[in-house]
Amino acid sequence: MSENTKSPETFEEFRKSFFYGSRSDMSFKFLDHLSDEQGADFLQKLFRDVITSIDTGDTDLLKQTVLEGQAAAHAHPDTFSYSEGTFAPFTVNPADAKFTMLTSSGHYPAYNDPEPLGIKEMSQSEAERRIFDFLKEKPVLSEIPFSISPDELKVRHGGYDTRASLEDPNVTFPWQRMNELQEDGVIGRLTENGYSFIGACSQKRLMKDVIPEWIRLMKENGVDGAILIPV
Amino acid sequence: MSVGHIARGFEESGISTVVIAVEPFLKRLEIMSLPRTLLTDNLIGRVLGSPHDTSYQRKVLEKAVKLLSSADKNGTVEHI
Repeated sequence: MSENTKSPETFEEFRKSFFYGSRSDMSFKFLDHLSDEQGADFLQKLFRDVITSIDTGDTDLLKQTVLEGQAAAHAHPDTFSYSEGTFAPFTVNPADAKFTMLTSSGHYPAYNDPEPLGIKEMSQSEAERRIFDFLKEKPVLSEIPFSISPDELKVRHGGYDTRASLEDPNVTFPWQRMNELQEDGVIGRLTENGYSFIGACSQKRLMKDVIPEWIRLMKENGVDGAILIPV
Repeated sequence: MSVGHIARGFEESGISTVVIAVEPFLKRLEIMSLPRTLLTDNLIGRVLGSPHDTSYQRKVLEKAVKLLSSADKNGTVEHI
């Protein structure tokens, strides 16, 4: 019989295991960004709210608790900060304007897989495993016709919980609702394509090399207004 | 963060934008000084709510279109 010399897992190790670790979970990876005290308070409240939600049949309380945890983890961003904003006035009547939509959800047409990191048919789990490789990469824009059928629309992104997007792409890439806005005259026209990319990418390469190309693309398409959806 | 940079680039080139994001991203978006932001009270990865809630999805997009045309200054943030 061998002696087990492995130390018991600490609470910090437990929290961090949700962030691309042994318990990787895209909805709860934020536990990594909380202190031990914040993490303990969150779990205690979550457990309490599970029972309340079972008693009442109301899941809004659970949603609110998870939202508070996600917000706490993003409360002190230490990334890009700008003191001055930019503002292009929208001077066209929406019913006469040309719109597009661009999301960072990682959608793409089944017939044109962007093959991230040079890998054919990359799985969602591999995208999660290689998230730190994605963060060094130049993002690739997928052009997705607004006329695409649901069975041709795919999603893959190693940075968020894609289950809802797999069930209904409109939760992160609402192309069907955009078509309806056009059909009902709320907006004038749509570009032929909507656009999506994997938002977990090199910010320097995005700003230096990619955004100027995408601006040219929008200008060529006569875009008046862009709906942008970070995921 | 990526979309914030895109919004800033588009606006500088004269293309008006509205960002639809979940509330947990508020601080992250605020420090990027974006022109127009519509916040939804949904979990990360579910910007437009639960799957197949088509009326809510429509409501969010209609509000975004209105915000695009009604905002008159940078930093306009609305909630839905």
